[in-house]
Amino acid sequence: QNAASPIMEELIAFHDHALMIIFLISSLVLYIISLMLTTKLTHTSTMNAQEIEMIWTILPAMILIMIALPSLRILYMTDEFNKPYLTLKAIGHQWYWSYEYSDYEDLAFDSYIMPTYFLEPGEFRLLEVDNRTTLPMEADIRVLISSQDVLHSWAVPSLGVKTDAIPGRLNQAMVASMRPGLY
Amino acid sequence: MASEVLAKPQMRGLLARRLRIHMVGAFLVSLGVAALYKFAVAEPRKKAYADFYKNYSPEKDFEEMKKAGIFRSIK
Repeated sequence: QNAASPIMEELIAFHDHALMIIFLISSLVLYIISLMLTTKLTHTSTMNAQEIEMIWTILPAMILIMIALPSLRILYMTDEFNKPYLTLKAIGHQWYWSYEYSDYEDLAFDSYIMPTYFLEPGEFRLLEVDNRTTLPMEADIRVLISSQDVLHSWAVPSLGVKTDAIPGRLNQAMVASMRPGLY
Repeated sequence: MASEVLAKPQMRGLLARRLRIHMVGAFLVSLGVAALYKFAVAEPRKKAYADFYKNYSPEKDFEEMKKAGIFRSIK
């Protein structure tokens, strides 16, 4: 899906970066394997291999650093806490979510998945719910996620949010959507 | 029979030479693959996002979506 929040855009860019490195390493290994398999020349007296050992220790270390630095940057970006405009509580039950907005007036409702035989044409199977959660766009929203019974997970792929709902624990996620839409 | 003496063929250092040439070639190929991916996939994707948001008006998009009837809370 396309990104709808700045964090998801960063995650997609990081995935491109990591995949590029994966292709780099895999093509190198594939080339070397084909090289090994297509030669009749052998070298049977290798005793000392200091130089190449240095190379193939330092080079992967540098590659790992190149992967780790953007990764840590995004990790800390997701934990950045800007002043949220709104707080939403998402509580997981078996098998529905209940949402509470308690900032200005108490509003709470349950959100059950829409069974397949109730769907209108054009609606998404297994994704539609009876009561949708409405949130303002272009606003930082704090989502507090917990659970009533077992472990659940609250995720919105295009906003880059996936947080576990653990009974007895309150997890916080920041949601900021740049575009209006159905997510 | 006396004929021209052929030049002595290269006998030593064959594997080392092969390795040297191909190691350089392998690095170039893998860097080329990485550069190809970066400039054929990653940069166009970033540019597509930048272009989309350059002249984007969320309010206009919202009005169009409302007219299309996607939202249930407001008609």
